[in-house]
Amino acid sequence: MTSYFLPRDLHPAAWWVWALGLAVAATRTTNPWLLLTIIAVAGYVVVARRSEAPWALAFRLYLVLGAWIVAIRVFFRLVFGGAEGSTIILRLPEIPLPAWAAGIRLFGDVSAESLLGGLYDGLRLATMVICLGAANALANPKRLLKAMPPALYEVGTAVIVALSVFPQLAESVLRVRRARKLRGGNGKRTQVLHSIMIPILEDALSRSLQLAASMDSRGYGRAGLVEARQRVLTGAMMIVGLIGVCVGVYATLDGSTPRFLAAPVLSVGLLIGLVGFRMAGQRVQRTRYRPDRWHLPELVVALSGLGVAAVLFVTSSVDPTNLNPSLIQLSWPLLSWGPLLGVLIGVLPAFLTPVPEPPHAALEVVAS
Amino acid sequence: MRKLAALAAATFLTVAAAPVVHAIDHGKGYPGFCKDDKGVTVVIDFQQLGGAAIVRCNPQSTAGTGLDALKGAGFQVAGVQRWGEAFICRVENKPAAADQIPINGRENYRELCIDTPPAAAYWSYWHAGNNCAWDYSQWGVKNRQFLQGGFEGWSFSLNATADTNPVPRVAAVRPGTEGKACNAVDEPKPVSNDPGETQAPVQGRQPQATPEAEQQATPPPGAPTGALPPPKPRASATARPKANDPSSNIAFSGGENAEDVNEVIKRTSGASDYAPWAAGGAVVVLLAAGFFVARRRKRANES
Repeated sequence: MTSYFLPRDLHPAAWWVWALGLAVAATRTTNPWLLLTIIAVAGYVVVARRSEAPWALAFRLYLVLGAWIVAIRVFFRLVFGGAEGSTIILRLPEIPLPAWAAGIRLFGDVSAESLLGGLYDGLRLATMVICLGAANALANPKRLLKAMPPALYEVGTAVIVALSVFPQLAESVLRVRRARKLRGGNGKRTQVLHSIMIPILEDALSRSLQLAASMDSRGYGRAGLVEARQRVLTGAMMIVGLIGVCVGVYATLDGSTPRFLAAPVLSVGLLIGLVGFRMAGQRVQRTRYRPDRWHLPELVVALSGLGVAAVLFVTSSVDPTNLNPSLIQLSWPLLSWGPLLGVLIGVLPAFLTPVPEPPHAALEVVAS
Repeated sequence: MRKLAALAAATFLTVAAAPVVHAIDHGKGYPGFCKDDKGVTVVIDFQQLGGAAIVRCNPQSTAGTGLDALKGAGFQVAGVQRWGEAFICRVENKPAAADQIPINGRENYRELCIDTPPAAAYWSYWHAGNNCAWDYSQWGVKNRQFLQGGFEGWSFSLNATADTNPVPRVAAVRPGTEGKACNAVDEPKPVSNDPGETQAPVQGRQPQATPEAEQQATPPPGAPTGALPPPKPRASATARPKANDPSSNIAFSGGENAEDVNEVIKRTSGASDYAPWAAGGAVVVLLAAGFFVARRRKRANES
């Protein structure tokens, strides 16, 4: 039990499962009580369990983005005719439009129902975005790449090189700026492109290429042992499989397409794709250095996220009214206990998981 | 910010000041047929959804849309989230979100009123002049004007096709005018003069018109067509068929005893008065806790 709470970084996939569970739960409802609770739950878990890494500081940006989404949704209801419903709260002059713009209305009466409709709708999208932001803040992207299946190994290598561009870009900005200061050039606006942007881009690009070259010389991304024919076959299978999955999913969701396009195409596409995946994985033979393992805390995190989604799916088939508040008559949105307690399951990881490892912990142990 | 505050205040005032709301707003319209040729009679036939039909009059003597007729007669309607009130999804909370609608092939379907309801289960929209047969409306509810002295009908269409949409089972005959000639004029022009709206309704935008229903031209197997009225004869405006004999009307009421829609929703959904307070409390507690955790961490980092 004592080892359970020893500080360590959890498996990033566990945080992704948790956050996607919350996001799926948010898609099921437009009830503002539930959506606000989901946002508060995600925010508290992020504050309690984030590390000091640079990607953990981005959560604030997602909150701002969410606020923008809500504001824009409500604003559009204001601009493009918000006269649904009978409670008019604002009378704006309507701008007459020519005949070819029929069906579009600019300003005019604004009702409380339509503004609330925009608010609920925007809040749902904002909640989903914030949940993804929570996953980004909590999960270490580099370790997530490490945990990828072998078939995606080459893609993963490319993504690592791409990911390393942005931190290097930020560092390059600092270096170039310092160099300019030392030279005493305060520069005019027209010279900014010449004196800052080009050196920065060139620096970051060349260092990424350097990283790629050094990875190449150490044997990453090596495909020499595979015959060209087999490589073409593998790629073709994966692409055909993916197309099959796309067609199948579309046909499954759209009831008016012929049925033979649904389940049969979906399963065949899935099968071909999986075979291609497996073949691609077999030709990559490598071991993982200290692979991340799923322990009990990871299970707790993932299950709590899945639990939230499951509770909202179950309750939405029992009493869907509460999840989508009616706007027939203006009233406070109703709420029952089931979905609320379900959403609160999502806060468990804030208490039942170990805190992340503090940065430079290993160095401090050596020093003391 | 001030606008938000105004909105919040308006919302609060509306909620706080709302008197006991009845399913039928008895302040609008009156039960039964219209007494003279002023105003429009609105007939709601729930068909397989159950319950007696409701007939009320909107005594509005000025021009208005089909939506005005519904609301002015006191009915509580709900649109879909996607189109708003341009598509009537519920009338008097039917079909309720908690009810299962036995659509063929989707027996567990529930109407959530988020997107356009399926063509196999929706409120079909009818109109008629006095003493005339019902006509399926070619226009959306916001795009046609009701006929003074005439009728607006809503009939729930379950597992029906464009040809078997159930006609409201209350004849469009005002009491005291039985046996007179059908005096309907041509289908009233739509409200707007916009060319875009005077064309045949675009599928999806004005979804209650026939094009959508025509997609399902072949009746689904096992459809209970025997229980439905015979197909409506379609005739030109000049030779309109007469209304059915009013003695074949089904039982109907003026909606005097209908229950408050919000009360019904609250009762059937198991909502609690305390749950919203608990949700608000949880949000406040989590925000406060997050604030303290962040401050403690900041201090620990600084020391």
